[in-house]
Amino acid sequence: MNKQPKTAVILCTCSGIITEKIDWDTVRAHLAEHPDKPVVTTDELACGAENLEKLAAWLKEEKPERVVVAACSPREHERTFRTLLASAGINPYYLQMINVREQVAWVTADPAQATRKAARLIGAALKRVRHHRPLVERRVPVRTDVAVIGAGPAGIQAALTLARAGRRVTLIEREPFFGGMPVRFEELFPNLECGPCLLEPGMGELLHGPESEHIKLLTLTEVTEVKGSFGNWQLSLRQQPRYVNPELCIGCMVCAAVCPERRENPWNCGGELAAVDGPFVGALPNLPHVDATRCLKLNGQECGACLAECPVEGALDFGDTIRDSVVEVGAIIVATGAEELPVVPPAFAGKDNVFSAYAFERLLAMTGPSGGELVKGDGSAPASLAIVQCAGSFDDAVSYCSGTCCQAALKYAHIAAAKQEGLTVTRLIREQVVPGINAARLFGHDHSHVVRYGGLGDLTVAETPNGRVIVCGSNGAEVPADMIVLCGPTVPGSGTTQTARLLELGLDDAGFIAPIHALSGSFLSPLKGVYLAGTCRGPGDIREAFASGTAAAGVALSELVEGRDLTVDPQVAVVDAEQCAGCKSCIRVCPYKAISWDEATKAADISDILCRGCGTCVAVCPAGAITAQGFSRAMLRAEIEGVLS
Amino acid sequence: MSCQTMPNAAAHPAPKMMSDGVPGEVRVVAFLCNWCSYAGADKTGMNQLPVPDELSVVRVMCSGRVEPTLILETFRKGADGVMVLACHPGDCHYKEGNLRAFCRAELLERMMPQLGVDPARFYFDYVSAAEAEKFSQATNDFVASIRALGGTAPGRYAK
Ligand code: SF4
Ligand code: SF4
Repeated sequence: MNKQPKTAVILCTCSGIITEKIDWDTVRAHLAEHPDKPVVTTDELACGAENLEKLAAWLKEEKPERVVVAACSPREHERTFRTLLASAGINPYYLQMINVREQVAWVTADPAQATRKAARLIGAALKRVRHHRPLVERRVPVRTDVAVIGAGPAGIQAALTLARAGRRVTLIEREPFFGGMPVRFEELFPNLECGPCLLEPGMGELLHGPESEHIKLLTLTEVTEVKGSFGNWQLSLRQQPRYVNPELCIGCMVCAAVCPERRENPWNCGGELAAVDGPFVGALPNLPHVDATRCLKLNGQECGACLAECPVEGALDFGDTIRDSVVEVGAIIVATGAEELPVVPPAFAGKDNVFSAYAFERLLAMTGPSGGELVKGDGSAPASLAIVQCAGSFDDAVSYCSGTCCQAALKYAHIAAAKQEGLTVTRLIREQVVPGINAARLFGHDHSHVVRYGGLGDLTVAETPNGRVIVCGSNGAEVPADMIVLCGPTVPGSGTTQTARLLELGLDDAGFIAPIHALSGSFLSPLKGVYLAGTCRGPGDIREAFASGTAAAGVALSELVEGRDLTVDPQVAVVDAEQCAGCKSCIRVCPYKAISWDEATKAADISDILCRGCGTCVAVCPAGAITAQGFSRAMLRAEIEGVLS
Repeated sequence: MSCQTMPNAAAHPAPKMMSDGVPGEVRVVAFLCNWCSYAGADKTGMNQLPVPDELSVVRVMCSGRVEPTLILETFRKGADGVMVLACHPGDCHYKEGNLRAFCRAELLERMMPQLGVDPARFYFDYVSAAEAEKFSQATNDFVASIRALGGTAPGRYAK
């Protein structure tokens, strides 16, 4: 049995609020009889600045080894009183707070009962503090480097903002090029600004400007594992071989021209690419890459056409291999974007000249499969274009509005009509959402007819003497439809899902990454040190992507400051290696992966940086080998005994 | 899902006992997680809703910290009733500690008759930081039910 260390008890009246119910004089009389002989003081308002000074002086004089404060909720003032103890030269973790305001005075009708309950809880605290141990807050330096996952407009913007502040950034992109979605869109809503033109200055800066010294862009790279926590993340990266040396290649694409192997161009939804090629003209970085599944040479056949014709010795490098690396950063910005879900209802399946919104974007683009010409599959010009909006939105699977399809549809109507005089354009809508001052520019000037339809299931496609039409079941309207664009809903991309899984981030109902708060914290994930930008948080347009990229970078800058250390809470769990039975149950249950197996000691080991002190492992350890510092078994037992005696 | 649906298998003696010198008072310990339930208890205070005098709160960081043996020990030390209140599913500050607590509570309830403890003396529930009324209601109802059952005999759960 521990000998009772000298204990001081501070009874706060809370300016009379607590003493309306609790009679501290009675409690003092009770404590005077207490075998532990605590020293006791009553204070009017213990948290007040002057009172704290007075209390510190009293503690310095009394030199107690433990302190019990009976006042308000520890959720409110535990930190205040820890600081008080520290200022009196007492270890701050020798404190135990009793919440007599919220949980006694304010919930108990009878003053005599309230007084008795307060005394009982103080008695328990006196027992508990015997088992308190001095704990020390460790300070660890934080890394101020940042990893940005996803190099679309949000990621690029975040990386540039950070680099301008002098931060080192690793920008991770799984595609062979960067710029995200809008760099593949030739004209952007509402001003028909050119997507690549809008993005290229930033992309150029990133590759060649002064910022480039701070930014390392890794294309064809994915994050495979994330460990660590705020200030100290470790990301394992896997970069697929490009088989092209970026230092030497001059981007002349002679290799692509001579390559005998052809495949469909997945970025263009049509057209062809060589096995060694760039996805589309103008993609940055301006480098081809080799599709290892299609390259003849890499598949053991006699080839080498590209090698023979390449003007730069060593630019093609068939010895290239997968590169695994680890980056250590203080913060992670997730900017993994979203995708269009290509919804093709049965009535449209197998029909020709049916495009998804993305495929239509590429068809309209000068760098796309038709060189920007509005042509049907057979090369002829369409007489009519039907744009089906909400194609899959407001349905069971995707119940929400993607917010940007109306914009895109207005844009398509305008561009298509401009490309081809006399084209009949019809937009089939379920809802129409085009807010914002700028939207009005295209709205009403898009030269399209508008037909409202009930649901995708109502639509059928029929051949009539006048050509192909979409028949709207609900009202029987016939919409001429030589060419059909189905604007599918915006859904989380596979990269977003994968990254959320790696970081164990929660998803919202639609599968996007759930921020800490939808309104006030939409750039913040629930994990400190992980920030969110762009459409990984839900559908959004490019304006939103730029804004959120800047915002996420700003939060990272404000939270990770050079020289501002991280304080490690000592109230974490620790393993007694001697007692550990080696069952590894704790490793499995820790929600923060804070526990690892130490081969040297043959015992579990807990990282104090990762541990959040929940105590789940303590409860699960069959050997009783784990102690939650601050909430140890001995402390809880003493407290339980105390409230029951 | 409620713990109260478990069969009330164990017969229990109901002698009155002494606590703090007041005859007939029962003693109930409530383990509250710091983030939801404890905050809910604070909110109960802010809203000036009643909480029974017999209830003593033991704060833990997570309901997942409260293992069955700690609960049994609390009975052994003389508690007449034990509550574990956790964050609602999906709201756990530590991701899933509350669900572990729930699973353990289910198992414990099944074991309690064999151990000679009436499962009606144990209560597990979810209380959020906003649910002051629920906290007040649940604690009052539970303590009332324990009062009806009466105190456990001293020394019944021998050390
Ligand atoms: S649960 Fe306990 S005994 Fe098992 S590995 Fe972890 S510390 Fe060791
Ligand atoms: S206390 Fe919680 S966070 Fe810390 S090691 Fe144990 S289970 Fe993991």
